[in-house]
Parts: sequence; structure tokens; C-alpha cells
Amino acid sequence: MNSKETLYSAGLDIGSALSKAVIMKNRTVLSSSVRPTEGNFSHAANTVLNDALEKAGLSHSDLASIGACGLGASFLAYPFTKITEISCHSRGVNYFFPSVRTVIEVGNQASRVINVTKEGKVADCIVSDRCAAGSSRILQIIAKVLKVDLKDMGPLSLKSTNPVRFTTGCAVFAETEAISRVAEGMRKEDIIAGLHQALAARISAMAQRIKLKEECAITGGGAKDIGLVRAVEGKIEKKLLVSDDPFITGAIGAALIAVEK
Amino acid sequence: MFFAGLDIGSTITKIVIKTEDEIWTSVIRPTGAEHRRLAHKLMEEALQKANLTFGQLDYIIATGYGRINVPFADRQVTEISCHMRGINWFFPGVKTIIDIGGQDCKGIKVNNGKLVNFVMNDKCAAGTGRFLEVISEALGVKVEEIGDISLRSTNPAKISSLCTVFAEQEALLRLSEGVSIEDILAGIHRGIATRIYSMVERINIEKEVALTGGGVKNVGLRKALEERIGFPAVVPPEPLITGALGAALFAQEYVGRIDKKELETRKKERRLEAVTFFGEGPTRGQNG
Repeated sequence: MNSKETLYSAGLDIGSALSKAVIMKNRTVLSSSVRPTEGNFSHAANTVLNDALEKAGLSHSDLASIGACGLGASFLAYPFTKITEISCHSRGVNYFFPSVRTVIEVGNQASRVINVTKEGKVADCIVSDRCAAGSSRILQIIAKVLKVDLKDMGPLSLKSTNPVRFTTGCAVFAETEAISRVAEGMRKEDIIAGLHQALAARISAMAQRIKLKEECAITGGGAKDIGLVRAVEGKIEKKLLVSDDPFITGAIGAALIAVEK
Repeated sequence: MFFAGLDIGSTITKIVIKTEDEIWTSVIRPTGAEHRRLAHKLMEEALQKANLTFGQLDYIIATGYGRINVPFADRQVTEISCHMRGINWFFPGVKTIIDIGGQDCKGIKVNNGKLVNFVMNDKCAAGTGRFLEVISEALGVKVEEIGDISLRSTNPAKISSLCTVFAEQEALLRLSEGVSIEDILAGIHRGIATRIYSMVERINIEKEVALTGGGVKNVGLRKALEERIGFPAVVPPEPLITGALGAALFAQEYVGRIDKKELETRKKERRLEAVTFFGEGPTRGQNG
């Protein structure tokens, strides 16, 4: 690659809940777009890419490469390079924080703890994708029960004085438990904080199995929730770096890796 | 003589009143949040149905997850023992019992009517009745109907998620891909059967196998389980009341150990009273 040449690339991360796209000019993010996937991968993938292109004032023919990761990546109508989510998140975090060697990703369908090299390549990885109680999905389920906007969960959680103890590790049973706690008159703040503690305990248990490095970052939808981030920090006893936009980390990684291929 | 068994499950409460030889009457109702009041109300209902008075009951045993909330019971027995005893009454040769409840699932090993071993999942909704409820709600079908619908499947869908939440999402995804609801439900039943099978297999599934609990009322799940086990299983005529029946059978056994005088004193002291809660007026009770 000639470094003087201007090169436009796109990166997509088509997840089970959200579809994200970024347009990059060399190593700079020009534009991004995030929209709910809503079960229609094909529509979401193509819409989110076109939207990002439009924001950047570019058209599809300007793109030198497209990289994509996520459950619904294969539904994209254009030719692209398929990359694993793990590689994309590692690389994306490396883009924001070159010093980070451990990435905790909390997604809608899976949570991952990834040790990365200084180039942002995957060194070691643990994935939990069997159970909704270990992913950010449980946050959405409980937000719905409590009739709280997802983006308010974090700030509310920080106001808790007496976090509720969840006795179950199952998202479905946790929903029932949350309903019972509400009926008993427990404060929403305390229920949310209890949920964050339970999810953080799961993530931390997973992180224990891989050796956490000095510099750690958290990404994925879960990183948008300050209550969860603080709870995980408490459990792993480390400070976590959070990028300004954790949603698009994977998409940035996808764009960067695709350019090199 | 009359013996009563109450099984307060997480989802459904059951009462069985039996005589020395036969089931006299049974009542099945959803469990609410307030077990105590429900136990009282349901007992009244059962007595009315049986045309008995409370004083005619010689011994009462409570079982199930809400068993401590039955103030008028003479004794509590675990649901594992009660299921075993209930099944044993119908099928004395059974060695393995699989109970699929509303919020848990158990495997019980029996030898000559004695408990040998058991496994249980109450930590995760997968493999329990709750899983079936969530899926049927997501697909917009009544939970009572999903078994029959699944039997019409010609090509069961592959549902790879074990987690209820993820399986629900997978089912909806298949639906959007144009897979028929019959095939999705058949896939769902296969998935849950595999989950239950692998749990119970840890205590070694041995013939004869009995299936019980509300989950077995679903013919699709029953068929999927039998396919997984590799041979047909026996199912009691009303799989919901196995635990309550077992409790009533234990009641009968305990009465045999007490002398008549003590039994009469006990019965006189026993009260069927509505339990009241803080901050509300008393509800009407009925003395025995």
C-alpha cells in the first residue's frame, strides 16, 4: 500500500442486535452509522453501509475494500472480506488504545475476553456465547421489565445504595426475579445494580481463566453501560479503558484488516 | 380414611385426596405469588369437590417448592421423594424418572421403590416448562398446542442454542427465513429433549423410564425424549399430580405409624384457616 495514496475503506459489524458501519480514509474514521438489526440482516447490512457512505459523501465505487464481521455479515450484497469478530474487536481496540493488551467485549449474543498483541492481533481468547445471562442481552431484558431506557441503566445503577442479590444465573429466571423484586417494592436502582454485579461476576469469572494483562479495555454494547463497566472494574480490580464509541470498535477493526488483505 | 397431598410447584399447585385404595379427587390450579392463601383456597375447593369436610382428612402432607407455606399440613416431604412414590404407585418397575416441571427439571433413579440418586436443574430455564412457555409466546401459539403442532413436522429445523433467550431469537430467525412453525417447534422439542437427556444420563438412564410433570403433557416433547432415550417411556394418566399423589401416599404411610388416639388429637388441633398478610383485613376462614 502506498502511504501517500488516499484509500477509502468500509468496515461493517452486523450483530444480532445492532448493525454498525464505518467509512475510513486511510486510518481516519470519516463517518459511521448504527442501526438495529431487527432480525433482517440483509436489509440492515446494506442500509447501514449506504447510510455511512452517504454521510461521508462517497459512493460504493470509491471504496477500495470492505471488511465485515458479525452474525449477519454474509447478507451484505457487495463483495467483501469476511473477518472474525474477535480479530475485528482486537484490532479496533488497538486503533483507539495501542497500549491495551486485554479486551473485554460484552455483546448482545456473546461476551469475550481477548488478549491482544501490540499490533492488535489475537493472542488468546475466551468466548461465552451459550447463555444470555453472560451477555448484554440480559441488560435489555431487565431494562424492559423495569421500563427503563437502556441508556439510563448505567447512571441509575451508580445511584444504588443497596444492590439486590440475584440468586439465578439464567436470564429468564432473572426476569422473574426482577418482577418479584419490583412487586416487593425494591428500588429500580438497586435491582439494576444487582444485575450489573451478577453480570460482572460472570465476566470476571471468565476473565480469570485468561491472564489479564496490565492495560485492559472494555468494548461492545455493554461498554456503553457505565454501571456494568464500574461493576466489572470492581470485580477484576483493574481500571478499564472505554472508547468514545464502543459500538463501532468491531467495524473499525474490520475496515483496517480488510485494507491489508 | 382420607389422605391429602398438596404439591405447590413454581407454576402449578396440585392437590390429591385419596382413600386407602384409590384417588378420590384432585385439583390442579396455577400457583400465584401468595402460596399460603392459595393453599387454603385450593384445599377448600378440593374438599368441596370431594364432598368432604376438613375434619375428615386424616393426614396432610405438603410437597413442592412452596411446601413450607402450607400451615395446615401435618408434615412436609421433598418433591423428589413424592414423585418417586407417586410413580411407584402407578408403575412399580420404574428405575428412572424424568420430571419436567414449570421451572425445573429432575432425573431420579429408583431401585425397589427406594431413592438411589438424582440430578436436578433449577438454575437455567432451558429444559424446563418455562422454556416451552417462552418459545410458544414468541411464536404466538398456545403452549398447550405446540406439542401437537410439532408432530406435523416433516423436516425439523436445527435450533442450536440451548439458552432460552437465544433459542427464542433463533426460532424467530428461522420463521423469518420461511421455515414452517411445525418444523421450528419440532426442532425446539428436539433441542430441549437433548438437554434433558444429557442431564439425566449423568445418573445413567435405565429401563423402565417414567416421564412426569407438566412438560410431559406436551406430546411433541414426549416423543422427542423417547427418541433420544431410544425406547418408549411410561407416563401416568395425569402427569401433573404425580407429586401430590406421592404426598398423599406418604400421608397414608405416616398414619399407619401413629396410634389412633394421637391421630384424633392431632386432627382436632388442625385448623384450615386463611392466612392474612400485613396491611390487609382478614379473609374468611373455615374451621375443620
